[in-house]
Amino acid sequence: METDFETIEGKSTQFSVLLAILAVLALAGLYATYRMYVEGIYLSGMTNRIPWGLQVILAVFYIGLSAGSLVISSLYAIFGKKEYKPFARISVFLAFLFLVAALLSIISDWGRPDRIFEPFYHLNPLSMLSINPFLYNVYMLICLVYLWAMFKEKEKLVKIIAPIAVIWAIGVHSGTGAIFGFVPRELYQSALLPPSFIAAALSSGTALMILVLLLLFKVTRRPLDENLVVRLGKLLAIFIVIVMYFVFVENAYRLYMPVSHEAGMYFLFGGFHSWVFWGGLIILGSIVPAVILFNPATVKRIPWIVVSCVLVVFGVLCERYIIVIPGQTHAPDLFPNMVVVSSALAEGYVSYSISFYEVLQALGVVGIIGFAFVLGLKLFKMMPTEAKVLKESDSVKSPSEEKELEKQTVAS
Amino acid sequence: MAAQNNNMEFIIMIITAVILLIPLGYGVVSLASSNDTQPFIEKPDEKYDKCVRDTEYMRLNHMDLLKEIRDDAMRRGKRGEITLNDCRKCHTSRERFCDKCHNVVNAQLDCYGCHYFPK
Amino acid sequence: MERREFLKKSGVLLAGTACACALPLLPAAAKSINVDSENTAGKKWGMVIDLNKCAKDCNACLDACRKENNVAMHGDKRWDIHLIRKVTLKRKHPAESPEISVPLLCNHCERPPCAQACPVKATYKREDGIVIVDHHRCIGCRYCMISCPYNARFFNYRENHEWPNKDNTRSSHGVPESCNFCAHRLDKGKKPACVEACEEINAKALIFGDLNDPGSDVSKVIAGNHVRGIREDFGTKPKVLYIGL
Repeated sequence: METDFETIEGKSTQFSVLLAILAVLALAGLYATYRMYVEGIYLSGMTNRIPWGLQVILAVFYIGLSAGSLVISSLYAIFGKKEYKPFARISVFLAFLFLVAALLSIISDWGRPDRIFEPFYHLNPLSMLSINPFLYNVYMLICLVYLWAMFKEKEKLVKIIAPIAVIWAIGVHSGTGAIFGFVPRELYQSALLPPSFIAAALSSGTALMILVLLLLFKVTRRPLDENLVVRLGKLLAIFIVIVMYFVFVENAYRLYMPVSHEAGMYFLFGGFHSWVFWGGLIILGSIVPAVILFNPATVKRIPWIVVSCVLVVFGVLCERYIIVIPGQTHAPDLFPNMVVVSSALAEGYVSYSISFYEVLQALGVVGIIGFAFVLGLKLFKMMPTEAKVLKESDSVKSPSEEKELEKQTVAS
Repeated sequence: MAAQNNNMEFIIMIITAVILLIPLGYGVVSLASSNDTQPFIEKPDEKYDKCVRDTEYMRLNHMDLLKEIRDDAMRRGKRGEITLNDCRKCHTSRERFCDKCHNVVNAQLDCYGCHYFPK
Repeated sequence: MERREFLKKSGVLLAGTACACALPLLPAAAKSINVDSENTAGKKWGMVIDLNKCAKDCNACLDACRKENNVAMHGDKRWDIHLIRKVTLKRKHPAESPEISVPLLCNHCERPPCAQACPVKATYKREDGIVIVDHHRCIGCRYCMISCPYNARFFNYRENHEWPNKDNTRSSHGVPESCNFCAHRLDKGKKPACVEACEEINAKALIFGDLNDPGSDVSKVIAGNHVRGIREDFGTKPKVLYIGL
């Protein structure tokens, strides 16, 4: 049996309505970004003490999703698991789009987005924010080549480019973790952040891919073998445990060392972000899905898997929040033996609240990416006709079929 | 199905082309709508009898000179005799001098957000 | 068999990727972030603040700075910009200790985390030790503000409408700001505005000069007093030092 790919029909009213909604969201985001560009980014909830807000949280989250989706395609391209081939194209396409989403989020957050080309001709090799764009841009290029190779069914090229893509994704994640890890603030600086970013990326990306695949196959009424989803669910369970391990080590170290004990206590029991941590990441985002996915009775049932995937994605979003925000609300104590009586700047612990325009910007990015994804499904042969667990004998294909497919892709 | 697909592609191509052509169209429209396509530059107020370089050089290369002065001052700490503040001693108005040509060729300046130059 | 070959291949690819990742580091070895400054060659500017002489209700340096550098004051703690600001502090022990007033500004660190962080080298350290922002190049990503452990950087969140000193620039919105020791004045041989204001009212709490020159005021004060920077344990080596902190 050979996997056939086709475009979705996209003639129904719902399809047009969906596209229209996404376009409106995109326009709203562009409007908010324009307002901020003209009037200044005081329209966001950011202040002099909290210079990084929602857009950075989401950018980091998107980068995580990007690598996670790539992993699904690597199951087929690197580990030779042919039954995952139907998902390969969609997952690489999503990986590319999520990286675009991350870059859009970051750029819309800049004070001077008109100077977008400055980082290209003034590289500062000591800066993590200068090394990362290099990693991102090459990663996007690799994704495109990968995608092209899969559309053309160039098996050899796919075999070569897939490990490069995965290795590069690991680099991208270590680099993104280093943006926060290599900063002299008590709740940021940590050598563990780069690897824990990779772990969180794997779990959130896999979870989101499961959701996207289930939704797509359901909406377009295609047969999907539940065993495939169950296998991915079991993989997800392992990733969740790895994330929890990193979180545990990080916090145990912080609490144990006298120098960071106070910061560690603030992180765990010091305000709104602690609720996000305990409620969002630990209970809803890790323990509940882990219990579901490790329980042999529930892991076989699709609704349970959907619940756990939603929770994992939500949990990783919470994790991004508690990486970006508490590090800023908790500034280093500049005068350890003194009490600050009064100051022109808000000293000590501060809080961050998300503003309306920031939400608009975030929705705009979702709109642009969603629009591109839906349109991509319609224009390119991305959807498999069906997906099921294969037997060994199924995986041989005839050259004529291959040619036929190539012709079709060219024609599209 | 195929026809539908072609339609879609066509629409997307049109949209892309329009987006790509916006800057060009904007330039053409603004050039056509401006009255003086050949801006006449006034003589500066005669406090000093000549500029820091001769007229021909300034006409072609004033932007390079300004960038050189900027980089010297900003990045090398060399603050020489010429500054942007000195320019405004003779060229007393940005509307009469800078903007006249810059508006016609649609090359927007963002100097004046930070540097003082009278209107 | 196929898998083994595959692992071999990916090993080679891994090495290649590692080399590719190291590429941007090459120019780092060749070029540091320092830039020459001819007028102040061989100097290393530094400041000592004598807290015993700094009066609690005196704001001369703050006002002078605002006037000289056209610093925006929006009347909102979230967005106000203070190139130099004052905090009132009290010792924890003993509980009944007197309040002291401490001027805070950019520390002009020897190892500035903000300059390391800047992706476009808009923030950089001049050879005379001043950490300065090039607003022509800055993209407004605010990574320098994240990196600065002293909260010494401020962002122009909104447009500034005040412009008292027309000979100096004012900042438009979208770029960060911090004290630059009035580099434009130093390059012309003048002292920073805050130091001048402090000398004018005869308080002399701010002492500014060349740390490399053993005969300068600032070197003499350092030699004769116990001075320390804020949180020297960060390892950033601040060049703004305090007496009586």
